[in-house]
Amino acid sequence: MTATSEPEAALGVLPRADGSAKYSHAGYTVTAAVNGPIEAQRKDENPYEAHVDVIVRPAAGVGGTRERHLESILQSSLSHIILIKNFPRSLIQIVLQVEDSPENDYVNTKLVQGNLNFAIMPALFQTAVLALLSAGVPMRATATATAVAVVFHDGVKRTVVDPSPREIEIARSVHVLAFTSHDELLLAESEGDFIVKEWDEVYETAKKICCHSAPADDGMQMALDEEAAAGPDMRHFLRSTMESKVAADLYWK
Amino acid sequence: MPREAEPSLNEKQFVIQALQENLRLDGRELEQYRPLELTLGDQYGVADATLGKTRVLAKASAELTVPYTDRPLDGIFTIATELSPMTSPAFELNRPTETEVLLSRLLEKTVRRSNALDTESLCLIAGQKCWSVRVDVHVLSHDGNLIDAACFAVVSALRHFKKPDTSMEGGVLTVYTAAEREPVPLSWLHSPFCVTWSFYGEQGEIAVLDATWLEEQVRVGSCTISLNRHGEICQISKLGGTPVEAVALLQCSAVSLTKVKEFSTYLDEKLAEDAKRRNKGGLLAELSAENDR
Repeated sequence: MTATSEPEAALGVLPRADGSAKYSHAGYTVTAAVNGPIEAQRKDENPYEAHVDVIVRPAAGVGGTRERHLESILQSSLSHIILIKNFPRSLIQIVLQVEDSPENDYVNTKLVQGNLNFAIMPALFQTAVLALLSAGVPMRATATATAVAVVFHDGVKRTVVDPSPREIEIARSVHVLAFTSHDELLLAESEGDFIVKEWDEVYETAKKICCHSAPADDGMQMALDEEAAAGPDMRHFLRSTMESKVAADLYWK
Repeated sequence: MPREAEPSLNEKQFVIQALQENLRLDGRELEQYRPLELTLGDQYGVADATLGKTRVLAKASAELTVPYTDRPLDGIFTIATELSPMTSPAFELNRPTETEVLLSRLLEKTVRRSNALDTESLCLIAGQKCWSVRVDVHVLSHDGNLIDAACFAVVSALRHFKKPDTSMEGGVLTVYTAAEREPVPLSWLHSPFCVTWSFYGEQGEIAVLDATWLEEQVRVGSCTISLNRHGEICQISKLGGTPVEAVALLQCSAVSLTKVKEFSTYLDEKLAEDAKRRNKGGLLAELSAENDR
């Protein structure tokens, strides 16, 4: 299977939801629908703020503890950027449907129990942010996320951005980091063995990918091309996706 | 969870009156489907069917398990239908609604009970090892006629799907990964499709194909006919509603056959296109370890 190196996204793909987005990157394809603010169930109702409900559904099989874990991580980090205090007693519902995830050709996977791994987190997170933007839910800032793996190969340490399933299998540690548009760290989840120095390197790599400012003018292009080899420029991607959507929506003006 | 908004009295009357004058809101003929589109995924067994604004994603998968003790010679085949809040916030997780139950029962009757998939071929060692094939149906957006779209997606996903190749040597079962041997398709016997009719008028004298969500809400009855392109009817279900003349139903099933033939040709074309796309350089025939029947 070919993993696309450049992220792709489409907004407003589902006609009935308040906001929706389809995002694919590094072999992962996720569709999200956002409905909100809507009436909350009695048990979820909070008199001071909106309840953010995140539902992750695997492509095959039923969701289990792994999905619940991903949901709780996403829920807490998204609650930080959505202005939940503006909508007391209401619910913002985010449904993330995994459509495609890269397969490891060297092992036959068990499927009845969904097998979402850590590397899908950035795709889920990015789709959720795009769908929230599409739904027009007020947010404090936008956010971008990426996955970085630390791989030891023949005694040489490498940091791999957007690792493939095979790389995750041999990786010493996998990290998922998300940054807001104010360059603040929003989410840092790690799996595996690592030391603080490694984590600092991972942090720098992730920050470069997530917080790269958009190219100011053509003079900068040359310098940026070299750095672009490290990974995609997520913030620029988010901005250009929204810009093209807005341009298409306001075409009649 | 918020309830789905019902159409107003004026809206209902408008739709019904228009149908009595042989008109539909979207300008279609009474016996015309919305444009049907199918996208097959990069992975085997992923099918995305779109019928107007209705969109259904089906994914087929297989894994090794132990067969049921009462059926040691059969593999396991399940269709999982769960409507998520993505379809509409009115659906709640883990709380099946009537729509969901009816949809899964109809798919079960159409695809599983009509023996479209040969479950005996899924058995590897009698009573010990068999394949469990599972199709997950995800409804992404619902704008009426969920049954036909879901059935088309399920059949497409299963026909597109390939399971890992296996071999038996001296009582040792080997399952090959995709890197070792090209996966093999399922043994598929026939392709049944659902055609749903909606009835309007006092005696249900107006029959309409492929109703939208608005039209579905004002109908007086519906009938789903499942058949394959040879005209073999797998099931007819008419669950309550206004009684309909038997002659009218016969007429409906005759029209259904022409629709099913269209579906079948379209699916064959799409599968052939996909096979051609994968088979760049014509190497797939050499990679495949499958024997011709």
